[in-house]
Amino acid sequence: MAMITFKINRYNPDDEKRGHFVQEYQLDVPKGYTVLDCLNDIKWKLDGTLTFRRSCRSGICGSCAMTMNGVNNLACETQALALNCDTIAIEPLRGYPVVKDLVVSLDPIVRGLMAVKPYLMTKTPPPTDQERLQSPEEREKLDGLYECILCGSCTSSCPSFWADKEYVGPHAFLKAYRFVADTRDECPGEHLEPIDDKHGLWRCHTIFNCVEACPKDLNPTKAIAELKKELVRGKLG
Amino acid sequence: MKYRETTRSGGALPWLFQRISGVYLAVVLFVHVVNLHILIDGEIGYAAIAERVATPLWKTINISFLIVALFHGLYGLWIVLEDYIHIGWLRVLIYSVIATIALVFAIFGTLTMITFQYGG
Repeated sequence: MAMITFKINRYNPDDEKRGHFVQEYQLDVPKGYTVLDCLNDIKWKLDGTLTFRRSCRSGICGSCAMTMNGVNNLACETQALALNCDTIAIEPLRGYPVVKDLVVSLDPIVRGLMAVKPYLMTKTPPPTDQERLQSPEEREKLDGLYECILCGSCTSSCPSFWADKEYVGPHAFLKAYRFVADTRDECPGEHLEPIDDKHGLWRCHTIFNCVEACPKDLNPTKAIAELKKELVRGKLG
Repeated sequence: MKYRETTRSGGALPWLFQRISGVYLAVVLFVHVVNLHILIDGEIGYAAIAERVATPLWKTINISFLIVALFHGLYGLWIVLEDYIHIGWLRVLIYSVIATIALVFAIFGTLTMITFQYGG
């Protein structure tokens, strides 16, 4: 048990006069409490107006991604005592429009995602007697690509996105490569063409913030490098 | 929600050229350092350098290094600036300034190298 001060960024769209401000809450945090548990305690016991997203509380849904002490992560996967400080600053994910308190609009994420057509595309009719099959080796190539939970931590941490709100974003590039690398997908160009764009792949400057921010330990920068190679190969014929 | 409209960037080949030119610059720099500081006989002074620079091979190497370095550096600068400058006329102005700098340095550098002579 330790007394921790939570400094939480607050914003209420109905109170434009007050705008964005920081509110402090003090909480006795027992061992094993995640930041999400702490936020729940604050909301349920101290201040019912505090607003944040949460759903699965087991690192699958991506709803509770936020910036804790300057680092993007899932609140449900961050042990409060493991942060090892008596003050924890909590902000909404940076770079996205704030809807209320810790809730951000994920419209930029969805725009980027839809641009890359994140679904399997085929030209040949499906086999009638079985599914489209992959060998275990072909399936293995998708490891590290399909696990993205679309929490938005990576794109929120990306300086290219901070500078250009139309930037497609590392989450969408990772998803694009997940389908380009899939042997069952017969139209890689459909995923590649939309990202060969002035707000697309070439705006990535290999900063690696997305890799650091990903709570699932995925590597969007590597996927981006592979996509760049694919596009260059396409241009060279 | 409005979907994004795609504008073809044509960024693939410049990206590839940045990689190739980066490797070229690193190799030539390595050759330069080895040649100047390890292989050279005697004192490193004007005479030793000028004699080498006056040869056609080193003139070619130096001119290519100049042009590749100008492109690599200034295109890199433009790529970074492009992220932050979204006003149309300002982009044109800054791009023009960068292109002019590149052209002026390339012309003067090349002329200097071509006309450079040493000894007889």
